[in-house]
Parts: sequence; C-alpha cells; structure tokens
Amino acid sequence: MTSRIGNWLEERMGWRSVWETVFLRKVPKVNWFYTLGSATLFVALNQMITGILLTIYYVPTPTQAYDSVQYITTQVPAGWLIRGLHHWGASAMVLLTVLHMLRVIFYGAYKYPREVTWFTGVGLLVLVLGFGFTGYLLPWDQKAFWATTVGTRIAEVTPFVGDWILRIMRGGEELTAVTLARFFGVHVWFLPAALIALLGVHLYLVIRIGISNMPKRKEE
Amino acid sequence: MTDATQTNKLDRRGFLGTLTWAIGALIAAGFTVPALAYIIGPALEQEQSDEWIPLGLSNKIELGVPTLFKATIERQTGWIVNQEEISVYVLTQDGREFTAMSNICTHLGCRVRWIEDRAQFFCPCHNGVFDQYGEIVSGPVPRALDRFEIKVEEDQIFMRGA
Repeated sequence: MTSRIGNWLEERMGWRSVWETVFLRKVPKVNWFYTLGSATLFVALNQMITGILLTIYYVPTPTQAYDSVQYITTQVPAGWLIRGLHHWGASAMVLLTVLHMLRVIFYGAYKYPREVTWFTGVGLLVLVLGFGFTGYLLPWDQKAFWATTVGTRIAEVTPFVGDWILRIMRGGEELTAVTLARFFGVHVWFLPAALIALLGVHLYLVIRIGISNMPKRKEE
Repeated sequence: MTDATQTNKLDRRGFLGTLTWAIGALIAAGFTVPALAYIIGPALEQEQSDEWIPLGLSNKIELGVPTLFKATIERQTGWIVNQEEISVYVLTQDGREFTAMSNICTHLGCRVRWIEDRAQFFCPCHNGVFDQYGEIVSGPVPRALDRFEIKVEEDQIFMRGA
C-alpha cells in the first residue's frame, strides 16, 4: 500500500531522487562528533515546534506577558513541558552550535571547498545568540528585565554608535512596552526568517559538497 | 524496494532502518500528544463556578413578579481576571420557593426585560417572549430562559451556576 502511494507520487513528483540525495548520500567513515550538526538541527526543530505552540497563549505586553507565561506553566495541559522544552532547548542550541563549530575547526572542515558553509554557519551562530538574547526578555520577570537592561547597556559601550544601538534595541531611552514588543517581533519573525534562509543554504551546501573526511596525520 | 526473496530476512541494514523509523515515530508522537493536549486543553475546561454569589435581600421581591438583581462577580478567562456584572431575575410566588432566571435571551444573547403590563419577558432584538417562569411564549427562541441554583439564608439570596 505505502509503496503504491510512493510510486504514484514518484511518477508525479520525482521525490525518490530527492530522498536519495538528501538521506542516502555517501558519507565517509567518521566518528560521533560528526553528528553534532544533526543534533543542532534537531534541537532547532524542537525550538520551532515549541516556539510556535507558545505563541498560542503568550502575549507580549507588560501587563500580560508574565501572567500569560504563568498561565502556560501552571494551567495549560502540558504547558510546563512545552515551555520547559523551549527553555532548555534554547541553552542546548547555543551549546550544540558551539560544539558543532569546534568540531569543524578541529577537523579542519571549514577549508576549501566548504568556506561558504562555514560563513553561513557563523551567521547561524550569530542568529542563535540573537534568539537567546531576545527570548530571554519575553517571560518579563525580574531576571528578564534586568538581564536585558544590562545587555542593552553593554551594547551602549560600543564606540561612537553605542548610544544609538541602545536606543534602537530598546525602542527609546528606557526599557518599556516598546522594547518587549520589538523583542518579541524580532524573536518570532525576523530571526526565524533569517534562520530558515541561512539554514537552507547551509544544508544545501552540506548535501551538495558532502561532509569532509577525517583529517589524516600524514599525507599519503 | 527489497527483492521478493529477501523480504522475510531481517538483516542488519533492515533492522537499523526499521529502528530509525520507530525512534522517529516515537519522537513525533512525543511532540504530537502534548501539543494536542496543550492546544485543546482550555477548550475542555468547564467554566461553572461553585461559589454562592450574594444577590440581595429577599424581602425586596414582590410576590409573583420577577425582580432584577445585579451582582459583580470575578471571572477568570485565561490569565485575565475580570470584574463582570451579572443580572438575574428572581421570582417567588409564596416567599419560600425561589426561582432564579438569566436575563439573557436564549435566541441570540440579547438582554430580556420584564414588561409589567403584559406580565411577560420581552426581548427587543427579535421579539422573543417568555412568561414569568421563563417558559417560551412566542418568537424565535429555542428554549426557556436559563435557570440558576438559588438559596435563601436569613433573607439573603444567593445564587450559583453563572
């Protein structure tokens, strides 16, 4: 039955060659460190699913943000789980992205012809940190408020344009409802759009070029 | 995709392939089940409150005439607590047995009014008419006015079930 549906779709979509290119491609004999990229991708998917779910109840206004998060955590069935997955997944994202990057550095996998994969990877790391920074404010508790106060102050130290950066981040002089709303907008629209675009290029290149071999101790 | 002669043999490759799909299905279920509970959860919640709400003094009521009482209740919708004013018609024929009726028309939710001259409830939206017990008289109304539980303690009327 499944194979009949598969054949019917294959005839019309030609999906099998895509499937084989993506999932049945040849990989060199490598070790477990080479799974860190896939692990990062998995957690990224987790963040997308749980993040989308959180927007059903979360409201990014100073009067309701905290209460809606409490509502999610204590009232909604499995709300604690969805929020917990997103919360801990956020830390896992940063950790795994950095570990993945370290593997690429130590195995020299950034070299020709994979420079562009590396560039997009660096961009993705910046995006992940952006997600972490903007997401941290959203629960709107004391920790969130003061962390963002300090975080935007740190940006203010930038020579010449620091004051401007602070004002743009906060949407004004103070950390207000405007700040919360724009952090939310950046967290759920700007960054995901950029992430999907960069991730698309990153994965395309991984599949197109293939992953690098383990470096040898000596030239053969 | 495997040959007909090979289908019954579970080799290492086939086993690992099946295992991968099984783990994948498990993870998918791990997301789907909580996600569904999370989405439909608040929809399943019953909004009945079991608290007795004080309405006023029972000696205000004229025998046989539905009398309007107003009360402010706190209602929690999601994470927002609202003060809400509810209106209830209370009827008694003998000063001992009391009936409490919602003033919300069962047709489309307009507020009904007690018309003294005709001794009937009248809904101005689509001419729904109910008698003093809230039973249907005429109009497009689908059912009688909703009733609430009521009790009287030392001349004080309480209702619940809003």
